[in-house]
Amino acid sequence: MPNTKKTLPGHATEQNRFETSKLTLLVDRFMTVFIKFGGALVITSVLGIFVFIVLQIWPLFAPPSVTPLKSIPLPDTKYALLGVDEWGAKPFLVEPDGSLLVVDYETGETQDQSLNLGITGQVTAAFLNKREQKIILGTSNGQFVFVSPNHTSRESGGRQIIDVNPTAETPSSIGDPGMPITDIAYGDSGSSKLIVALQSDGETNRVTASLFKRKRSLMGKNKEEAAGTHDLTPMIPGRPEKILVPVTGDSVVVISESGKVSYLVLADGKFELRQSFTPFGDLANSHINVANFIFGDVSIAFASDSGENRIFSLFYPEGGKERLFGITHEFPNLGASPVLLVSTLRNKAFLLGGGKELSLRYSTTESIRWQSRVPYPVSNAVISGKYQRLAVLDSSNTLHFFQIDDPHPDSGWKALFGKVWYEGAPGPKWDWQSTGGSDDFEPKYSLVPLIFGTLKGTLYAMLFAVPIALLAALYTSQFLDPRFRSTVKPTMEIMASLPSVVLGFLAAIYIAPLIERQVPSLLLVVVGVPIVAAFSGFFWSHLPIQIRKFIRPGWEWIVFLPLLFISAGILWYLGPAFESVAFVVTDPATGQKTADFRAWWPAVTGASYDQRNSLVVGFMMGFAVIPIIFTITEDALSNVPKPLITASMACGASRWQTALRVVMPTASAGIFSALMIGLGRAVGETMIVVMATGNTPIMEWNIFSGMRTLSANIAVELPEAPHHATLYRTLFLGALVLFLLTFAINTVAEVLRQHLREKFKTT
Amino acid sequence: MRDTDTKDLELTRTLAAPGEPFVWLTAMGLALGLIMVVGLLGVIVANGLPVFWPSKIVEVHLKPGVKNPLPNSGGTLTGEIVQTREKRIPVLSATGDKIEDQTEVQIFVGNKDVNGSGFVFLNNSDIASISEPRGIYRLERMEYGIAFAYPKSLQLADGTSLPADSPAFTQTLTRLDAESAARRREIEKIEKHDIGAINSRITQLRAKGKGSPESLKEIAALDADYQLLAAKARELRAIQSAAALIYTTPNGIERRLPVGELVAFTLPNTLVFNQKLGLFFHNIWNFLTLDPREANTEGGIFPAIFGTFVMTLLMSLAVVPFGVVAAIYLREYAKQGLAVRAVRIAVNNLAGVPSIVFGVFGLGFFVYFVGASIDSTFFGEYLPTPTFGTGGILWAAATLALMTVPVVIVATEEALAAVPRGMREGSLSCGASKWQTIQRIILPASLPGILTGLILAMARGAGEVAPLMLVGVVKLAPSLPIDGAFPFVHLERKFMHLGFHIYDLGFQSPDSEAAKPMVFATTLLLILLVVVLNLAAILIREKLRKRYATGAF
Repeated sequence: MPNTKKTLPGHATEQNRFETSKLTLLVDRFMTVFIKFGGALVITSVLGIFVFIVLQIWPLFAPPSVTPLKSIPLPDTKYALLGVDEWGAKPFLVEPDGSLLVVDYETGETQDQSLNLGITGQVTAAFLNKREQKIILGTSNGQFVFVSPNHTSRESGGRQIIDVNPTAETPSSIGDPGMPITDIAYGDSGSSKLIVALQSDGETNRVTASLFKRKRSLMGKNKEEAAGTHDLTPMIPGRPEKILVPVTGDSVVVISESGKVSYLVLADGKFELRQSFTPFGDLANSHINVANFIFGDVSIAFASDSGENRIFSLFYPEGGKERLFGITHEFPNLGASPVLLVSTLRNKAFLLGGGKELSLRYSTTESIRWQSRVPYPVSNAVISGKYQRLAVLDSSNTLHFFQIDDPHPDSGWKALFGKVWYEGAPGPKWDWQSTGGSDDFEPKYSLVPLIFGTLKGTLYAMLFAVPIALLAALYTSQFLDPRFRSTVKPTMEIMASLPSVVLGFLAAIYIAPLIERQVPSLLLVVVGVPIVAAFSGFFWSHLPIQIRKFIRPGWEWIVFLPLLFISAGILWYLGPAFESVAFVVTDPATGQKTADFRAWWPAVTGASYDQRNSLVVGFMMGFAVIPIIFTITEDALSNVPKPLITASMACGASRWQTALRVVMPTASAGIFSALMIGLGRAVGETMIVVMATGNTPIMEWNIFSGMRTLSANIAVELPEAPHHATLYRTLFLGALVLFLLTFAINTVAEVLRQHLREKFKTT
Repeated sequence: MRDTDTKDLELTRTLAAPGEPFVWLTAMGLALGLIMVVGLLGVIVANGLPVFWPSKIVEVHLKPGVKNPLPNSGGTLTGEIVQTREKRIPVLSATGDKIEDQTEVQIFVGNKDVNGSGFVFLNNSDIASISEPRGIYRLERMEYGIAFAYPKSLQLADGTSLPADSPAFTQTLTRLDAESAARRREIEKIEKHDIGAINSRITQLRAKGKGSPESLKEIAALDADYQLLAAKARELRAIQSAAALIYTTPNGIERRLPVGELVAFTLPNTLVFNQKLGLFFHNIWNFLTLDPREANTEGGIFPAIFGTFVMTLLMSLAVVPFGVVAAIYLREYAKQGLAVRAVRIAVNNLAGVPSIVFGVFGLGFFVYFVGASIDSTFFGEYLPTPTFGTGGILWAAATLALMTVPVVIVATEEALAAVPRGMREGSLSCGASKWQTIQRIILPASLPGILTGLILAMARGAGEVAPLMLVGVVKLAPSLPIDGAFPFVHLERKFMHLGFHIYDLGFQSPDSEAAKPMVFATTLLLILLVVVLNLAAILIREKLRKRYATGAF
């Protein structure tokens, strides 16, 4: 071949013909970098969702920080009271002569604001009503006087300036004239005011309650008039030592020297001793060192000489008709003898201090937020109204300031997942109630009822969906005439695409009222239709072949459609008759008989009946879950190798035996993964649940009551949740729980599916 | 011989049977599933379509002695029959027998301004007879919804009056109606568009100008413009109420309806089939193109359609490039190993994470973090009023894009994997670079697969509501996300959405009875949209499967 010996023309010069264009290489390199970088970025950012949500909820579990700010030495005297304004900028102290010492945090200066009180004796008792920011002073000669510090805030040059302009009202006497007042307190409900004073001259003690009524006049000025004075001394066992009056001014709590607490209630203008108890009765020394109301004035925190700390709350005991105090929380020992117990104006936290120990505790969750040993013995303390600044007075009269950074004191593992004894409840429980009517409302953030609701909704949805989906998938893959498959499968897949808001709307507007009136019909249909199906199958297979040949295998479902309609229709209309026989309740008062399932169910089971209930949700969620389980199961069943089936058939097994004994076990992993993915969908479903349940966070398995799921809870509450508040972060936690739950379920399913795929690849 | 024969027969009979009842049970499963789908779609169509069909107005004559639920109506009641339903009476007689159940009729009586409520229920046994009055009008009004009325006269703007029995009456009313509609559009244009533009400019000047003399001057000029426009709008409004229709309600109360308040009028009882069909399509058209009225229970749902469309479009713009790039990376560039397998499973599973979780993330990240940062950087002068730091169509689209990106990644990856190896190798052996192979061979071949993924993502995005509730959907948006005011596309605006419209109307409407037709019609539209999208995806996928079934070997 002469041609091959020849060199190709222009071989040397066209060398570059085989070189790749620089641009192509450049583009290729660029695209490689771009796609690698971009792809990795997209995947990281998608997975970053998880990280972001975790960052959002981290503060819920983070310990608070309390940092010392500065210390200001004060003139040496015995101060009767320590108070502070809302911002913690200008704390004030009451001096023995009744004048106010105002401390400026910014400058560190102190200013003596003396007032012309018109009292003759020394101030021996003082009480600050934090909500009104008003002080009542009691003197050594039995007088009392109200003083208001009057903090006002103004802005100057972009900075906030706090001014103090104290004013005083005219003094009056209470109880025994001239007898020194050793403790005083008052409560003001707006329409009435209750002042209670404890007087003691060393030997005799006297507790006097003075009641004032306030009338609203047209001029807008409130007129106060005395409405009786009560001597409470006879009702109190032992030597009274301390008085507590709630803001409502309708009761008095008196603590005796022996540690006995008397709860006196004002009813119909008279006081009665409602309850008497000893909080530390089990200890050798039952004396109560310090006690104070927790914000909301429903609970009292007591601390004993030895540092024990217990909370007693008012609640209706099981079967009781009156609210009584009972122990609800117990804290660990302080480790020192307590001298101060101050509550906040924002939440259920309080500060317990004694010796050199300071401990910030949260009563609802029984958690110690912060505890520290300070280098000085403490004598008094106050927390600013915003729960941001703490001022501690030591025994040598130096005022120490601390910054409190504790945005979520009401959170933590116990609050979110544990049983908590909330105020007013007869026992500890799991509860979700994020908002309430008043400022001192105690939010309840337990996720347990929501997780329970999620599981309940999922359970009822799966109970309904799994049988139908599995049966349909088995029939479609094993028995159905192949020519139907191309229409049947897409039809079922359309079901998966129905927006859940449509399903939810139909559930609430269409299905719920329909089912409500016809529960017995529904019961009949649910039980009856499968029986009809199985029985007609049995009957059919016993017919002679001459008749059977008219329906080819794989066409049964078409025959079944009219059969189903007829049987379901008959059963549906039999419902009312069934109801009047089976579900009759007799009104015990009138003897009137009523055939109503809605009345029968509560009467027989004691559980409630709601129109929007789990049955409706389960049914409607079926629309969302059935197609998913159906599609994946059908795929798994169809992928079972044909030789297995033909071998089974050849051995003489019937089509059902083959399906049950050969196909199902082989595809079991796939079926399981289908169930898992269906479960994942049911767990996260939101709109159906929001619309078709009452969204009440109850914990009962009753099928005729509603529930509140994690997802519905987020949808209902997050739009109103203040940014970065505890509720906001708790809802994020709910989202994280959902995320992890579905992610775990889906991962298990996916790994199983991949495993299955590998298995069939080799066979 | 005979013995064995019968024995054989018996044998075959028992052999045919094993498990056959169970096969029927599985057939029931399939039948139930199919009935559920078809039934649900049927319920929606059966309730959604009749909303547009003009129904007859009936006059119900009550039996003597039956109390009329409407005041001053005597023994008759006029309205449209909504439904007849069975009334269950659960009380049993003393002997334990069931007291007869009866049916009741729900009648839409309209005239809310006179009757208070729009619907009444009547026991079927209380009805003596039902007639169809021919001369009755169905008036659609701007306020108080529908009125059933007998017109009396037409008060014209020049003070003259045209009695209802005059031959020119219908013609004049039609003309006045058309004129008032034109004026209404004009007023709307002035108030929404022109005055809206002035208002937004003034807000901008107030925030940015910080009281400088130039800005104050411009504000003054704008204010003068505003006064002019407002005066014009007032003038038009005065004309709108100059002419009026005087009518009496079926219970004899005389009312005056300014033509400006009249939206449309029909005589339903005189319509023939062709006219009804025309009206049916006219109603559908109005439903699709008009703004909602009366707390969304009347008028159309155009803003919701538009909002859904724009949001889905924005979402698609975001989801396609990111999803495709990520899929190409995973399939073509990343080293296939345990790590990529794990990532693939993770991405796959993200498609199963509840949508509300994405909504939570969108609110926390896009709105409160990204949006607030944008606000403090670019829109500091408007603070504390948020611009991007609150829910809006951009954040909604971004959230849904994030939610649907796994769907697109999975679909694209599947499509890439399905491209036959031979095509890839052929291209590479011809000297094409890797990117050239992807660009010219693989991507075109997998385009239908990518399209399927996109369509599925769009269907999911269009039907999803839960996450949108957190990131910017509202029941009534004052303006559309795209309009004639600069800069034309307003990504920060809140928007309306079909799915949320259903939720809001069906679940939170103060008058849920009146809202029902509207919800069913909206549902029908949404279902239609989603089903068509999904069917398209399924069809494309089927075609794809066939193509590769032949091309793979």
